[in-house]
This record gives sequence, structure tokens and C-alpha cells, in this order.
Amino acid sequence: MTDDVMRFFAAWMLTHEAADDGMKAAIRRGDEGGAEGMGGGPDAFVDGLAAMVAEEKEKLKADLQARARGEEVAIERPTDPALEEVRFEVAELRGRLDNIESLLETALRKLGD
Amino acid sequence: MSSRSAEIVGVTLLGLVAELPRARFGLAPAHVRRAAWARGLRLSFERLGPAFVKLGQLISVRPDEFSDELVAEMQSMQDAVPALPAEVIRAVIAAEFAAAPEELFATFDDTPLASASIAQVHRATLAKPYRPVWGDALPAGADVVVKVVRPGAAESIRGDIAVARKLVTRLARTGFGRRFDPVALLDEFATTVERELDLRKEGQYADRFLFDFRDDPRVVAPRIVWPRTTSRVLTMEFMAGWRLSDLETARTAGVDCRALAVHGATAFMRQVFVYGRYHADLHPANIFVTPDNTIAYLDFGIVGFLTPEERMNITQVMAALVYRDPDRALKYSAELGVHVPQERIPAVRAGLGELLDGTTRPDGTRDFAHFGLGFLKLLGEYDVKIPSGYGLLIKSLATVEGVARALYPDIDIVATAQPFTTRILGRAMGDPARLYERMPLAIRAALRELVA
Repeated sequence: MTDDVMRFFAAWMLTHEAADDGMKAAIRRGDEGGAEGMGGGPDAFVDGLAAMVAEEKEKLKADLQARARGEEVAIERPTDPALEEVRFEVAELRGRLDNIESLLETALRKLGD
Repeated sequence: MSSRSAEIVGVTLLGLVAELPRARFGLAPAHVRRAAWARGLRLSFERLGPAFVKLGQLISVRPDEFSDELVAEMQSMQDAVPALPAEVIRAVIAAEFAAAPEELFATFDDTPLASASIAQVHRATLAKPYRPVWGDALPAGADVVVKVVRPGAAESIRGDIAVARKLVTRLARTGFGRRFDPVALLDEFATTVERELDLRKEGQYADRFLFDFRDDPRVVAPRIVWPRTTSRVLTMEFMAGWRLSDLETARTAGVDCRALAVHGATAFMRQVFVYGRYHADLHPANIFVTPDNTIAYLDFGIVGFLTPEERMNITQVMAALVYRDPDRALKYSAELGVHVPQERIPAVRAGLGELLDGTTRPDGTRDFAHFGLGFLKLLGEYDVKIPSGYGLLIKSLATVEGVARALYPDIDIVATAQPFTTRILGRAMGDPARLYERMPLAIRAALRELVA
């Protein structure tokens, strides 16, 4: 750390610039990671991840710009998975009851015979 | 020796003897001999009935345990047997429901749609509308298929398993099958077949599949009609479409095979990596391409299950393939129970690296089957035991690749897997427990880099 404020901000800016350059390079490598570009092991995964994060960032940017222009932006609102699961379990139970009812009808027919 | 044991031994020996000329009476090169014996075994299995047809299918998904020639031969096992007369099938339906098919359905077609070793399938139409567990209601008159377990199939399979158990126990004592445990293999087989013999299980998996893919209109499965279902009879929606062997007709009808190939492969990965439940009996007859540009998954007789931990470890192994990282593949395979002895790790790692480098086909796309099956083979060569389920999963992914390639030959299944695996692992990074565990290590590594 330096006592010179200008020097401190310069160091801060440089750190950000270096980090930004590193990230851009990772995104570029991730984007290029086709059949022949992925031989880098764990680093290749980080590059791939960076490329996907960049894609997500572009989507977010586009959404925010659209919103700033006053356009309707469809916001993905996922339904509660637990609630969906309960709905399925109830439906499954109904299926089982249908099946049991059919078994009872069969038993009655057999008794009738 | 019981008469059935004698029959099994006799048919198998005859099958092998018939292949002697092909093996040039033992003088042919080793791979030709192995191919001849494999063919002999396959033909014998087809002759010996349902239990052996199923056993052959199990062998076809275990390249880790059996030779390439045997696995390839068993993959061509024909599970098509002469159809039973309609009266026999009607009798099973009558025994299950105490009613004739005409009383249960609006129409019932006596001509079978298909006939396999365990079940026979007939077309029918619903007499009444039915609201299935998931999806829109099926109206009265809707086309359905009625799958009926062949009479005697269950008893014959259970009987054969009991006989096979005696033979296999004797065989195990001789030291045959040093690398695998034949008794454990038989147990696995018996469990799979028992599950397949109860058609209600298949119906439940189909319902669950429909629920899992409720947000994807391009992936469909038949809806189950529970009032017309028992353990021996399964009634489900009729799916119209083309088999993968009839794709030209599908293309002429305007089906976008390329999009379906990518979508179908993604749907399978979703089953494995997201839900941990996957259709483990995929072959061209179990997938349809429909006129509505959807993929229909059929026949949920064999389903694989994964725990959340297994799911994450498998995702890591897939990421290892996507990003060609042998260390990641070995680390997470170990988590899945593939324990490579310490002294063999360098050799296995080197072999794995070669496999990862050799997965690119001449057209530039990568070949999962080459990697997956090669990995199983490599582990087998080093006497590494492969847990049950691991081989099945790799084989299933390889089959998905084959199916996708049948739809669209230039598909790169590994590239398709890349966003999937990356996203899942990326999401896992945000797990608070994982952050708590890894953050000190991450900070330490960052500091190490800064002061290096």
C-alpha cells in the first residue's frame, strides 16, 4: 500500500485492468474451445465456465437495456419445485386409486362368477 | 442334472460346435475364434428362451466384463419371437380383469403389433375417456397399446435363473470369471428381470418421465391408462411415428432430424445429470420420431437410478471428457467406486489421456462411445472392478450417441454435453456448504499465486 492516493488508485485500476484482461482472455479461449481447443484440463473448464458466464452477462445486459427502453421483459419465474412435486404425488396417488378401483371391480366380477 | 440344465448345456454346446468350421476348428486367429464362439452363444441364447435373451442383453451392456466380440454379438440379439395366438393373449387379459377385451376396450386388435420374449403388444381403443396421471385426458376412442406378459414367461425366467444359479455357483468355484463375480452378475440380472416382469413399474416410470419433461413439448412418452393395467397387462397411449430405421420417410414428412438429434441427446443428459433417473434400455426400437417433430421415449422396462452424489460425480466425469482432463476423470470415478490401485494409477492415467486425445473423429466431432467403452475396457485390462450401474450408464450414453447419430450423423454429443455439465458444475459452486469447504483452499491458492 502506498501513501500516495494517486498511486493507490493507479494500482487499484491496474489490478482491475489485469483481471479484466485475464477474464476476457478466458472468455475468448472458452468460446474457441471447439474440438481441438480443449486440451487444458482444469483450466479449460474455467475458460468454458467464463464463456458461459459472459453469455449470461450479455443476456442480462440486453434485458436491462430493454427495460430501460420501457419494453416488456419476460422474467423467468420458475414454479416452486416442491409444490410441483406434491402435485405429481397427488396425481400419482389418483392413478394408483384408479388401479385399485379396477382391481376391486375385477374381484367383484370374479366373485359374481 | 435336471432336464432343463441338460437342455441348457446341450443347446450351448451344440451352438458352439456349429461354429467350429467358422473358427477353423480352433486354428483361426484369436479374434476370429472369439467372434465365432460369441455367435454360437448368441444363437444358443436366442434358442433357449426369454431368460437367455435378457441375459444376452445384459452382457451387451457390460463391455467391462466381456470380450468386444461377445458384447458386439449380444448387441445384435434379436428379441423378436413368433407371436402367440390371440386367444392366448385374450386369456391372460381375461384372467387379469375377469372380463373379455371387448368389455374393457371399445376395440381390440387380434393382430399383434410386436412380439418379444417377455411380452406381446396389441392395439386397442379406449371405451371411456381417461385422465392420466400427467398430461391431457385421453378421449374415448383414443388409440392405445396393450402390452401383455406372455403366459409362462415369468415362470420360465425364474426357473432358468434358479438353474443358472446352480451352474454359476459351480462355475465360480472353478475360478472362472476371475475379474467379475458371476453370482453377483446373476443377482443383478435377476433383479432387473423381476422389475421388468411387473409392468406396473414400467407404467410408474413412464408417468414420472412425463412429469420430469412437463416443460418440454418436444419430448414425449405414452400416457398410462391405470384402470386397464395390472402387473401382467399395461395399457398405454399409442404413439404414432417413425422408428430410427425409417428416417427417410420422416424427413420427407418434414421432420427436422438435426434439431431432434440435439434435443434427444440433451433430454437424455437431463435425465442423467438433473433427475438421476434415466431410460436404461434405449435402442432404435424404443425411440420414435413423431410427425409433430417430437421425440417419443417408449418402453421403460429398465430404468437406471443415481443418487445426488453419484449424479454430481458423473457430471464431473463428463466434464473431464468435455475438457479432456484425465485427473478429473480419475478423481470422480474413484468417488463412484472405481478404485484404481495406487501403483496402477500412472498407467491408467496415461491410457485415459490417450483415450481422451483419441476421441475426435475424422470429421472433427468427438466420439463418446470411443471414450466411454474404451475407459471400461481400460479399467478391465488393469483388473479394476467396475461398480454395477457405472457400465450401464456409460453404455446408455454411448447408445444415446448412436441414436443421435442415426438422426443426424454430424452431431457432436460431447459438445452437446458441454453447456449442460458446465452449467451444473457452475451452479454447484454456489452451494453454501461447498463454499464453506472450499473457500479457505481457494484463498490459499490465490495467495500462493500472488507470492510465487
